[in-house]
Amino acid sequence: MKNLKKSCALFVLFVLLCSCLGACAGGATGSGTSTSTNSAPAGNSDVASSADSTQTKSEKGVAAKTGPENAAPEADESKSANPEPGQKELHIGILQFAQHPSLDNCREGFLKGLAESGFVEGQNLTVDVQNAQADMGICGQIAAQFAGKKLDLICAIATPAAMSAYNAAQSKGIPVIYTAISDPVAAQLADSDKKPLGEVTGTSDRLPIKEQLSLIREVLPDAKNIGILFSTSEANSVSMLEVYKKLAPEYGFEIVDSGISSSSDIPLACDALLKKVDALSNLTDNTVVNSLPLILSKAKAKNIPVFGSEIEQVRLGCLASEGIEYISLGRQTGAMAAKILRGEAKASELPYEEIAEACLSVNLQAASDLGIKFSDELLARAVEKFTEISSANK
Amino acid sequence: MEILLGILEQGLTYAFLALGLYFAYIILDFPDLTVDGSFPLGAAVSVSLSLAGLPPLLTLVAAALAGAAAGLCTGLIHVKLRVKDLLAGLIMQTALYTVNLMIAGRSNVPIFDRDTLFQNTRMDAFLPPSLQPLRVLIMMLPLVILIKLACDAFLSTQAGFLLKAAGDKPSLVCSLAHDPGMVKVGGLALANALVALSGACVAQEQRFFEISMGTGAMLMGLASVILGLKLLESFGRLRETTKVILGSVIYKAVIAFAITLGLPPNALKLLTALTFLVILVAGNGQMAAHFRRLFGLSKTCTESKTQKEAKDA
Amino acid sequence: MLELRHIDLSYNRGTPNEVQLFEDFTLKVESGQFVSIVGSNGSGKTSLLNLLSGRFRPQKGEILIDGEDVTKQAEHLHYRSLSRVFQDPSAGTSPSLTLLQNLALAEHKGQRYGLRPGVSRERMDDYRSQLAAFGLGLENRLNDKVITLSGGQRQAVALLMATMTPIKILLLDEHTAALDPKTAEAIMQLTHQIIREKKLTALMVTHNLRYSLRYGDRILMMHGGKILLDANGEAKKVLQLDDLLSRFYAISIEAGNSI
Repeated sequence: MKNLKKSCALFVLFVLLCSCLGACAGGATGSGTSTSTNSAPAGNSDVASSADSTQTKSEKGVAAKTGPENAAPEADESKSANPEPGQKELHIGILQFAQHPSLDNCREGFLKGLAESGFVEGQNLTVDVQNAQADMGICGQIAAQFAGKKLDLICAIATPAAMSAYNAAQSKGIPVIYTAISDPVAAQLADSDKKPLGEVTGTSDRLPIKEQLSLIREVLPDAKNIGILFSTSEANSVSMLEVYKKLAPEYGFEIVDSGISSSSDIPLACDALLKKVDALSNLTDNTVVNSLPLILSKAKAKNIPVFGSEIEQVRLGCLASEGIEYISLGRQTGAMAAKILRGEAKASELPYEEIAEACLSVNLQAASDLGIKFSDELLARAVEKFTEISSANK
Repeated sequence: MEILLGILEQGLTYAFLALGLYFAYIILDFPDLTVDGSFPLGAAVSVSLSLAGLPPLLTLVAAALAGAAAGLCTGLIHVKLRVKDLLAGLIMQTALYTVNLMIAGRSNVPIFDRDTLFQNTRMDAFLPPSLQPLRVLIMMLPLVILIKLACDAFLSTQAGFLLKAAGDKPSLVCSLAHDPGMVKVGGLALANALVALSGACVAQEQRFFEISMGTGAMLMGLASVILGLKLLESFGRLRETTKVILGSVIYKAVIAFAITLGLPPNALKLLTALTFLVILVAGNGQMAAHFRRLFGLSKTCTESKTQKEAKDA
Repeated sequence: MLELRHIDLSYNRGTPNEVQLFEDFTLKVESGQFVSIVGSNGSGKTSLLNLLSGRFRPQKGEILIDGEDVTKQAEHLHYRSLSRVFQDPSAGTSPSLTLLQNLALAEHKGQRYGLRPGVSRERMDDYRSQLAAFGLGLENRLNDKVITLSGGQRQAVALLMATMTPIKILLLDEHTAALDPKTAEAIMQLTHQIIREKKLTALMVTHNLRYSLRYGDRILMMHGGKILLDANGEAKKVLQLDDLLSRFYAISIEAGNSI
């Protein structure tokens, strides 16, 4: 019995290591190993190793399954617009920093945007999606691996991913396109004129804070203090908070912030903050947003409205938001990527973009709970009007 | 080739982390959670000093010193205030989070526009273009070998012996008229200096500091140490420090394999945990012998045979 | 000279489980004297050694070594002039170091452990000859890790390590109890020889009444934190095993009755 267990464990480990060695050796020699059962697609110089070819195959398989309902309509449209059937298949990598609804939306939107421009996953595009699980070590390693594979483009989602990808890809000349970064300038990916500082560009999810502040003023004419919860560890939040503080006086507000270091700090921080403010406004802070239901219930008990920073938060019960819609942000990014892939522009020539316009969403149920009535003009402007508070995440 | 190079680079930049945990966990028998804080501490110090214009190598030295200070604090909390080892580490880890933010100023600080250890004007001038892709290796390999030799040398001094004794028999240190607590404090300072050095190297390599880069550092280092020591157990001639460094490379290889496998992203951590468990449970001398037999090294067969005979007798 | 003056020692002070072990305990041991201490479990033999080696600090009273008050000294500083061999053979050696490294470590007891090489080759021959004197074959195992040695071998090494440097006092805490009779005999012989050669003041706690009679200049029988019997010099020489046994049984029964 003991021996059996041991040999099982041994076997698992051996398989792991051998395949790993195999993958490395394959990559080293630059040709598929002869014993490999799956023949590498011929005539494609991109496919270097047997491991790579397996990868390609499995990606295709996935794409074939999910591809049609996702991208088929756009693909048909775009094919007529950009007939490039003879093009060689392109290989891109997506490095997503963590699992998160907004970031997932970015990725989805990015692939949509690419498809709309004629690059359809599974048809003329191979996509290698990796998620770093918020682990910096793994993030760096995925970036290095992408760079080593000589991909045509790397899409990086969220700040640490973008920085790792840029660092790894710079010397290899692989363009990097990023999305969901609040401050590309602070990350030294662009200068203050939005011009890239290398073969790296993309879209920023900088919040439309002016619009948000004017929205809050419009809905709450008498409010003075706005409370903001943020994680001290999230660079995006810190830089957005600074913008809030700079702009708030213009609208007659004062910002009261409360920094937390983990989600367990939220209940106490929230209680303390609610005593001092007339409204709460959210950033795109991952930790805070993940605890939104808790914050909402605490705020509701005190009859204090909470303003969101994107549509998903309004769905969950925030009163309203002038915010970002990550799918369209991703789409915008995808369109930029397509330009680079088609060779129309180099990444370094494209200034980074922000979301074209803020998207207003309101939650009517939350409004009636708080006894707030939106003006007709505002309601007419809203892109999305939720009539109920959704209890579950999308 | 590229992937292999990537694994080697990553393995070497994280090698000091593994060495640090070797000192803390294997030699001192101290599961030091400070590591999750001292690793980014090294990165924060190195990045801040790089921004201030200091040459990269000097920032590494400063980072190591900062790490040593962190280890010293953990040690003193444990020894002088009699806080349990895990808790002492945890307290320092939490404290260091704030310290790191204070040193770096922000949670994410890039140094893309600065000379780094691996990308600097001197290197550009010195290295022929064909060797440019190997720049990380060219810097890290001598550095790792140097530090490894220094560690080996230290471990064979009187102080090194005392440190080893403090780990497995504190009462012996006491009967040599030395305070085992203070020896432990010194050892922890050394361990965390190595960890912070690793953090600095990683920051120089990735060219930015990120507050979350220490998350899981202890587990990563520990996994490397155990991988190295267990898998290479029967390679008696290798020094343990060498095994630990190789363990770091092997660990990175396992992760690279998991990434290449294209597993669903959520499975990545599970795989790490499982690999770790398998190594811990099944990793004994017999298993290493199996491996060597599989790789066709005849010496193993005779060795395991003699082992068996010895057992029978 | 070693002196304990008016010592009070209790465990779990301030709790309902408080046990007063020593009350106004006084003991004097002349330099160069070899004292055997016998007594039932809980009689305070080991606590006495713990007091002397600084592991326990008395609530009241003083401990003097050659006139110097060491009562409040840190534990490790006690060991500058003192060594202790424990019952557990693994306690006196570092198992992950080699025999050679252990000896080199012990040789510098009390000094600074700096960055000088841990072992010096010149000393090898000396170590070998000292080990050969044990007759346990240890002289050929200098480069083996101590963990591979047998209990008796380890205890011999521990004894050697404890007495390598010039010390004044040797504490032996049932140091032969975990060994087989033959090895125990050998180790006991060796202990006696070393104590006499180096003229050490020695306190040996033992459960072996024969050893306590055969070795040493003085015998103490302890019970409940008090010295019941103190036979020195001639008085000890005339003491017979049967006398000792009968005294021992008497206190054991007394202890049994009192419970």
